[in-house]
Amino acid sequence: MDAALPLRETRTAETGACHHCGETLTSDAIRDGNRAFCCNGCAAASTWIREAALGDYYALRTSPAGRVQADAADFGAWDRDVVLAEHSRLVPGGREITVLTDAMRCAACAWLIDRALRRQAGVLDAGANAVTGRIVVSWDPQRVALSTLMQRLSALGYRPWLATGEAREQAQRRERRRWLVRLGVAGLGAIQAMMFAEALYLDTAQQMPVATRDFFRWITFMVCTPVVFYSGWPFLEGMWRELRGRRVGMDTLIAGSTLLAYFASLVETLRGGTHVWYDAAVMFVLLLLVARMFEQRARGIASAQVDALARARPALALRERDDGSAEQVPLNEIVVGDILRVAAGEAVPADGVLLDHAASFDEALITGESTPVRRDAGDAALAGSVCREQSARLRVVRTGADTRLSQLTRLVEQAQSARPRLARAAERVAGGFVVALLLCAVATFAWWHVHEPARALEVTLALLVVSCPCALSLAIPTALTTAHGALARIGVLGVREDALSTLARVDRVVLDKTGTLSNGRPELDSVATFGHLDATAALSIAAALERGSAHPLAQAFAHVDADREARGVQAIAGRGIEGDVDGMHWRLGRADFAAAHTDDGALWLGDGTRAFARITIRETMREDAREAVAALRGVGVSVELCSGDAGDAVASFARQVGIDEFHARRSPEDKLARVRAAQARGEVVAMVGDGLNDAPVLAGADVSLAMAEGAALAQRAADLVVTSPSLLRVPQAIVLARRTQSIIRQNLAWALGYNVLAIPLAATGHVTPWIAALGMAASSLLVTLNALRLGRRERTSRRPA
Amino acid sequence: MNILLLLVPISLVLLGIAIGSFVWAVRRGQFDDLDTPAIDILRDEPLPAPRDDATETRDAD
Repeated sequence: MDAALPLRETRTAETGACHHCGETLTSDAIRDGNRAFCCNGCAAASTWIREAALGDYYALRTSPAGRVQADAADFGAWDRDVVLAEHSRLVPGGREITVLTDAMRCAACAWLIDRALRRQAGVLDAGANAVTGRIVVSWDPQRVALSTLMQRLSALGYRPWLATGEAREQAQRRERRRWLVRLGVAGLGAIQAMMFAEALYLDTAQQMPVATRDFFRWITFMVCTPVVFYSGWPFLEGMWRELRGRRVGMDTLIAGSTLLAYFASLVETLRGGTHVWYDAAVMFVLLLLVARMFEQRARGIASAQVDALARARPALALRERDDGSAEQVPLNEIVVGDILRVAAGEAVPADGVLLDHAASFDEALITGESTPVRRDAGDAALAGSVCREQSARLRVVRTGADTRLSQLTRLVEQAQSARPRLARAAERVAGGFVVALLLCAVATFAWWHVHEPARALEVTLALLVVSCPCALSLAIPTALTTAHGALARIGVLGVREDALSTLARVDRVVLDKTGTLSNGRPELDSVATFGHLDATAALSIAAALERGSAHPLAQAFAHVDADREARGVQAIAGRGIEGDVDGMHWRLGRADFAAAHTDDGALWLGDGTRAFARITIRETMREDAREAVAALRGVGVSVELCSGDAGDAVASFARQVGIDEFHARRSPEDKLARVRAAQARGEVVAMVGDGLNDAPVLAGADVSLAMAEGAALAQRAADLVVTSPSLLRVPQAIVLARRTQSIIRQNLAWALGYNVLAIPLAATGHVTPWIAALGMAASSLLVTLNALRLGRRERTSRRPA
Repeated sequence: MNILLLLVPISLVLLGIAIGSFVWAVRRGQFDDLDTPAIDILRDEPLPAPRDDATETRDAD
């Protein structure tokens, strides 16, 4: 070794974070007064924000913005009529479009986007929703082009993507609003109906004149009708569906009890009987509607997946004309037989056959396979896969809804409409319960009809109302929704429905190193050179080779001034990269690949036989990694580190964070084998990775958490996505999952215990329908409040930093 | 008790108004996003200055 260049010293002076995106600054940072930026894009965005008097954004936001892409995409084709026709709709004065963005992370981002768009002349209205990641813009196409607006968004760091189509967006919005109106009508109507019903109840001494009593009854009937038939329509429809399918389910019981209470009351009103039960009918509808809303919210959390799929399919494709020139066309203009060009790093727009030469594709989204696969000319390339390293030409064989990606999108949508296993189990229990209950009701009615016919209807109704399994049906969805909400607040998104229940049972956590325990940003540590090459030249050659590479290590060289040009660069998976620089063939990678040495974990630069430089890369540990590992131990979970990196690096890392059990140089298959072995011992294993090359392990573990800095699309393999940069969220999520499980158990125990107690009482005639309705409401309320405890304690004790 | 004949219809009218305004608010999208508007109140904004083309071109690079 001739010289060791300590790079760390030269760079500490420059450390700091980008004012706009929070990225760690490097030597080529752009400085402007006391603020510094990581790149031109961020600087321009910040300047624009300040000049537009929107500087408050920096004070309001709770998480940093996304890094602005310097090479702004060309949105020119978004202005085409075909795109506009499919993705936007006509509104008075212009058009309206819904676009998705993935960088919007907090309300301040939404605020900034709103303001920024409204400043543009020709924009009629703009609304950004940080929760759904959607931006709705209406603009006047005569005055401003859509592409200008999208350019603006992109320049601020929020790259827009076309949503899955305006029709779908519209339908979702309409559906959400219809449920809200249903709930509003039920809430207001039920309160009013209860007020009138109270007047009847308070007349305990039966002193009210019959005319007044009937007047109140008719008024209650009027208020009650829209609640039962409009707000309660989903249940009526559900009953109809169930009966047509010759099944008896929850909807049948709900709608049946409601209709029975309603029509029995109507009959009593008409013939002037002693009791009416309108109040029971409306309260029933209201409480159950609330339960359904809770459940739907829990299900909606998973919709991020469909958005990821929507982003994977580009809106436009580059089609080759007969004369060899290329034109941009919208997807739906592509027909089978067209020849498309796909640039490196872009997604393939349609299923096709590869022409000319081999290329590699990242099919993580479609197959879950995270390492890019090599396809030779004549092989198939699937829509949604990302073309790596070099551009490709392909002939289209399938388009639109026939592509694998579209089929996959439909699958995910189906999975989303499926309910969590737990909730399904509760449903099955409730199904059997309903049948037993109906039999019970028939028996009760028959017995009372024989012995005391006047009370038969009342007692039966009380039985049906008091035993309504709504506490049972609320028990799980409310707890799950609150838990997901609390998780989202600390920066953990539950992507799969059953993730929480598995997470609660975890007793071993396997951690990946790069991107999980480390922050995934490699930095140059030292360079040692051999022979005639000096350190600067070695770095410059390495940087030239790594430029444009998608490998995480390439980031370490991103800030090195590379004045050289590399030609014919090829990446060899798991080994390194090779190419020609200054007329010489270079290899950069593992020692055995680059310099015919034995592998020592460092990065070597050589020509395949001789070594020229040895570069060590340092990884910075996440700030709270140590604390997180200790916290995991604290909740009784064993922790192990499994990494693909070399032994020494892994060992020193494990020591730093305090992990005794570590394994180095593990391929994804080895990692998966370790997980399987632990599972065979009866352990429930959680895998935490960055989702970049861990997809098989993430999928193989019982429950998996992906750190959000990893590849957005590879996160599909994970059950939970940790969006917060803190690793502490993992033990916190486990604690929360366990609490959720115990709350669910409490709720179920309560709901069942209550029914066991209440049904005999009701059947023997000790409960009047109104007491029954009260009992049922109190029972549901108790269950809901119990579930809400999950969110409350979380908020006070674990405020995200 | 005749006052009831006045009070009850009034309460029904109020109910109708309440439901009507709720439906109106839902249709206008007031409930679509419950998080973002909360932040608006933190700032009273000066009238937006019209942006000229000079700054626009500088942004583009």
